[in-house]
Amino acid sequence: MSAIETIPARASTPDELYQDAARAYGPALERLARAYEADPDLRRDLVQEIHVALWRSFKTFDGRCSTRTWIYRVAHNVGASHVLRQSRTCFPALVGLEELENLPDTNSDPDRTHILDRLLQLTQRLKPLDRHVILSYLEGLDAAAIGEITGLSTSNVATKVHRIKHLLARWFQQGGKSDE
Amino acid sequence: MNESPNNSVLEIWQSQPVEVTKMSAEVLRKRANKLEHRVWWRNAREYAASLGAAVLLAYSFATTHDLLSRVAFGLFFLGLIWIGVQLHRKGSAKSMPTAVDTVSSLRFYRAELERQRELVSSIWSWYLAPLVPGFIVYTIGHAIRVPHPAAWAKLALLDAMVALMFLLIWRLNMRTARCLDRMIHELNGTN
Repeated sequence: MSAIETIPARASTPDELYQDAARAYGPALERLARAYEADPDLRRDLVQEIHVALWRSFKTFDGRCSTRTWIYRVAHNVGASHVLRQSRTCFPALVGLEELENLPDTNSDPDRTHILDRLLQLTQRLKPLDRHVILSYLEGLDAAAIGEITGLSTSNVATKVHRIKHLLARWFQQGGKSDE
Repeated sequence: MNESPNNSVLEIWQSQPVEVTKMSAEVLRKRANKLEHRVWWRNAREYAASLGAAVLLAYSFATTHDLLSRVAFGLFFLGLIWIGVQLHRKGSAKSMPTAVDTVSSLRFYRAELERQRELVSSIWSWYLAPLVPGFIVYTIGHAIRVPHPAAWAKLALLDAMVALMFLLIWRLNMRTARCLDRMIHELNGTN
């Protein structure tokens, strides 16, 4: 749990809440934007758009959910709108987790850069809901937190996370070794 | 399940080098205002264009002595009002609460996309058709008022251009409807 979780919502102004959120979750927001936009210039715009949405959203923050859930919800929703907006002009086919599991792994090199590149490429192809789940998982959130952000049931999240783990293990393992 | 490969992936993901964006309150306010101004100007332009066309038609209606031309301008005027009402009723975009959960936000997007698809795929009935009676009456009125083959030829050319423009608008909107349909299809089955 980050420091921002301990800040009582009513004790802070929206500006202060935003500043704390930006400080605590800035890197996570950057990583999230990477999974939504491959182009660096468009990504910079997307990150700024997320920050503006977050800043504006804190005016209506009522403390009914944790600030972490609030921040991830806002960021994912801005990311999803960005993808939908972009898809009006150029439309790469988005896939679900189950389809992703069947994609052949063309390179089993476990190098960090390769893993990161592949993670980004694959998350950028995922449908919005699966993308939210995988990104939340990669940020280290548990099933209950992912469920709160996405609105999915815990069992549904657990199924998706199981698939994600299987998928990640498959990419990560060299030489076709099984993780399970 | 062996957790170590997954933990390594998580570690790689979380430790990737990122340049953190810092935006001051002033910059945030400016960007938010810029966005609001852009929306305000876009709406203002649309209303100004509609108002301009309505004033022009009302003026033509008031100053024309020919009965059929007056009827035509009156029909155009009514058609424009009908379009404006429909656009306001069906076309106004709803803004989504920014911090709703993913399932709710996707449901909202799907409903919005479906609404937009309905709007563009029915462009003929609410946008193009209301202008047709005005064009027909104007054509008949002009043909009676100026009974010369040369004038009729010009009129036919004008009508052909209008018909072509209608066809183009209709086709563009059908293409947009197909695109929206594809987006809705992409969103379907995600929850």
